Amino acid sequence: MNGEKFVTLKVNGKEVTVKEGTLILDAAREAGYEIPTFCYQENLSGVGSCRICFVEIEGQKKLQPSCITPVMADMNVRTDSAQVIAARGAMLEFVLTNHALDCPVCDKGGECELQNMVWKFGPRKGRFTEKKIRFHEKDYILSPVIVKNSNRCVHCMRCVRVCSEVVGKAVLGVIGREAHQEMTSFVRSYLDCDHDGMCIEVCPVGCFMRLPYRYKARHWDLKSAKTVCPYCATGCRMTIQERDGVVVRSIARLGSGFNGRMMCARGRFGYDFLNSKERLKTPLLKVGGVFKEVSWDKALGVIREKFTRADPKKVFGVASARLTNEELYLFQKLVRSVFNSPNLDSTSRWNENASAAFISAAGIPGRGTGIYGAMEADCVFIAGAQISDENPVTDYIVRYTTAAKRNSVIIASSRAMKLDSSSRMSIRHLPGRLGSLLNATALSLYMDYPERLEGTPGIDGIKGKTVEGLGQVSGVEVSDIKSLAGVLRGSASVSILAGVDFLRFREGILGLRLLGAILKTLGKQLEILPLLDRSNQRGAWDMGVHPLFGPGYGEVKEKGLGVDGMLERANEGASDAFYIIGEDILSMYPDRAFAARALSRAGFLVYQDMFMTETAQISDLVLPGASFAEKAGTFTNQEGRVQAAEPLLSPKGEAKTDLEIISAIGSSIAPGFTGADPQRVFEEIRGGLKTYEGIFPGLNDSNGVMVKGSGNTLKEFEEVKEAVSDLGKNTSYPYYLITGNHLFHSGRLSRRSEILRGLLMEPVIEISSILADELGVEDGSRVMVNGRESGAVFSVRVKKGTPKEVVFIPENFEKAPANRFFKRGETVARVNITVHSSF
Amino acid sequence: MSAGKYMEKKRECGIRDIFRRTFFIDFIKGLMVTLRYNLSKSVTVRYPDTEKWVPFPRYRGVHTLNRDEKGRELCVACELCARACPTKCITVVPMEDDTGRGIADRVAKVWKVDLVRCLFCGYCEDACPTFALRLGKDYERACTDVSCALLDREELLGPAEVPWSFDGGVVVGARFERGKGGIKVAADLSDEKSPWFERQ
Repeated sequence: MNGEKFVTLKVNGKEVTVKEGTLILDAAREAGYEIPTFCYQENLSGVGSCRICFVEIEGQKKLQPSCITPVMADMNVRTDSAQVIAARGAMLEFVLTNHALDCPVCDKGGECELQNMVWKFGPRKGRFTEKKIRFHEKDYILSPVIVKNSNRCVHCMRCVRVCSEVVGKAVLGVIGREAHQEMTSFVRSYLDCDHDGMCIEVCPVGCFMRLPYRYKARHWDLKSAKTVCPYCATGCRMTIQERDGVVVRSIARLGSGFNGRMMCARGRFGYDFLNSKERLKTPLLKVGGVFKEVSWDKALGVIREKFTRADPKKVFGVASARLTNEELYLFQKLVRSVFNSPNLDSTSRWNENASAAFISAAGIPGRGTGIYGAMEADCVFIAGAQISDENPVTDYIVRYTTAAKRNSVIIASSRAMKLDSSSRMSIRHLPGRLGSLLNATALSLYMDYPERLEGTPGIDGIKGKTVEGLGQVSGVEVSDIKSLAGVLRGSASVSILAGVDFLRFREGILGLRLLGAILKTLGKQLEILPLLDRSNQRGAWDMGVHPLFGPGYGEVKEKGLGVDGMLERANEGASDAFYIIGEDILSMYPDRAFAARALSRAGFLVYQDMFMTETAQISDLVLPGASFAEKAGTFTNQEGRVQAAEPLLSPKGEAKTDLEIISAIGSSIAPGFTGADPQRVFEEIRGGLKTYEGIFPGLNDSNGVMVKGSGNTLKEFEEVKEAVSDLGKNTSYPYYLITGNHLFHSGRLSRRSEILRGLLMEPVIEISSILADELGVEDGSRVMVNGRESGAVFSVRVKKGTPKEVVFIPENFEKAPANRFFKRGETVARVNITVHSSF
Repeated sequence: MSAGKYMEKKRECGIRDIFRRTFFIDFIKGLMVTLRYNLSKSVTVRYPDTEKWVPFPRYRGVHTLNRDEKGRELCVACELCARACPTKCITVVPMEDDTGRGIADRVAKVWKVDLVRCLFCGYCEDACPTFALRLGKDYERACTDVSCALLDREELLGPAEVPWSFDGGVVVGARFERGKGGIKVAADLSDEKSPWFERQ
């Protein structure tokens, strides 16, 4: 980069040239010398508390900690002198004076950084004979997933730093001083935090430990497999580990994925649905209203009979965006070439026109955009995303990179979120009025440069409007819009992180496209990164599991129906056969009553999943599928990063991987259909899709492989019909209800995890602190929420900073499904809230 | 006796030879040896009927799991024995139990050893940080099927026939018992007898 200075120094006599301001530690590592570290952790601020990384600098009498000392020109550093080696040993001896040394009991035993370090550099015997400081006798539980033993603490402060700098919760702190210092929560109280276990992952010793993994195994007992987190589309690389067929933990390792050690509560603790006893094990056929176990041959026979007899126009297919790329590709091939039907989709929550328009506006058919690359921009504009809840690890990356780069993060959302504290500006707009905000911003920019921006596609749509008018519609102050436009104007490069609210509210897509076009015309370097909420949503679109385009965003002969259209047709009785993989339409479609009615008339309904979901219960044939831990394949995350996954277990009972099932159905109807070999299928993808040309994702690439541009642009979807949602005025239902994923849950899959259910069991409603004060309720109070047609009792979670009229109910709770409050075509529901007294 | 000398003797047919043959002198000589041993002190350990050898303290017999003086299990299920085992015949699964069952909250849920594969090298004993696991003085493992060679926690925690306080290296009195479960040689540690190497 321009303006950066380089300095040359000597490390152990070897000359190295590094950027000015580099730490001696990094310079030495670049030169190929290993310096042991404890308190040092990449991406965290330096504290230099452990003093294990001492180096000798010529001309300085005392040794210096290399993890906080920046290099200077002509420095002469020694990392291996006798003095340094002696000091390392002495520091370790010192650390051990107060370490509990209960390694046989400690869960970290065998993979402990202190153990390894002492083994390598330390003294074999300590001279300290005084009594060790003991903070407590028994380990104490800090949260439903964290158990703490302060007697083992080595005061590296990694937990405290990671909690505030990466996670942004700052619930851990230090009590006491010097040797009596204890890293813990405020007066050791039970934590109400994100429960993401980052403190556990960074702890070099067994001070913070996983409660679900407590005393389960040693690391050498575990068989591990590298895979990709099945929840949101951040697509964290994780390693899941099992003992005796039971998955006991999932970990994120430094150097094995782009996420490093970062994972959220879902990824780190949501693995245990894999061990669930409720997993489906045999195909079930409904005979006379009751499910009966049948053999695979029988099940495939029934499918062949029903699907070959059906009218191709009346055959529908929906596949979950949590399947692998291979499975999704084969699924669209099955529906399109074997069932001869154009009707297929990958989600039940969004309209196909909206998703096609979003794909086009966000440039998803183009090359992949990495999150770290996007964070290099001068301005990062996050719109339509509840990033802290939906994509927690993306939130972490944004937080710590913006703290280091000091670029502007601007958030536009209708709810408050954790990331607000790291942003330069947080704009709260009315639900479903993101489009007006984006248009107002575009208009503001247009008014600054009317000549340059004349002729930008879409500009005519906003010409007659005023910033004030649009601001009022979106519920945003004009000054906020002006300053947003000002920051965008003043930035040479802009990244837009566009979330699923664009899809959920079906508006703002035109605004996104317009703003993008304007920024490009103004010569800004623009990156748009979609933030999605299902692990392989981008992969599903890439594979053409969409009614309007084929694999690689290519054209299709005949445009089909999306889930909206399918259910409409089914409701009319015009459905012969319905094949659903893993998409629980009944609990996810934003009008529960309608979905239930339509699916009951859907003809022959085949449902394939791991669990007996609500949709499974009303289907005619249930096929037992496999989880992510049981299959090999690739996943494409929201950035377009293709990552390979390997299986750890074999499918439960008679269950098969979804690839095997799709392939078996295909070959039973059309002999010679593609076999169930993931590698072969991926070869076919590689050969057929320009986006995946020459992509060979391996298990050991730490960063996956980015997809390439497909060359297709989906131009025809640019003119999506979009209107400002009618929020209406209704005094009896004064609050806007919006939905999405809770931090601890993702769809209904995570509800099968006992650990995640332990974190959040009962249905919650998030309301603003103003409303809470008005109602006289607090966290944990119970309120009755009534929509026009249904009502339910929720536990209150108060959020500061959310506008008073906005309330949020996660879509994850089976007890109180959020989609009950919604009607078809209505994206913002209206509710009223009354205090519920249980007596 | 060389073959030549034997042949020489065979050809001998003097008065001495006739005497020897007539009065069965060789036979009596042999019987005298038998008779002498019959009357001398016996060195045979009368195992399993009345006596049993208790090995020396460093003998490596069947594993025992031990308790501290308060009766708590010493094993913390650290799995080091399983890790050290060259034949991988030990399986340990830990669990949490804070009721005071063990010396720490970590106790063994499963601790089993497959004696068929065990080579009694004692690495497990050396690895044990709490002296919970010791190779004991039990060596009677004969049985008719392999199941008796699979020992689990409960059996190993049970009181050892020979406690650690008993040094061993002696022969003690024993009783041979036949029961439904098979045969057993019950030692009576108070009835200490001299070892065979002192019984001349």
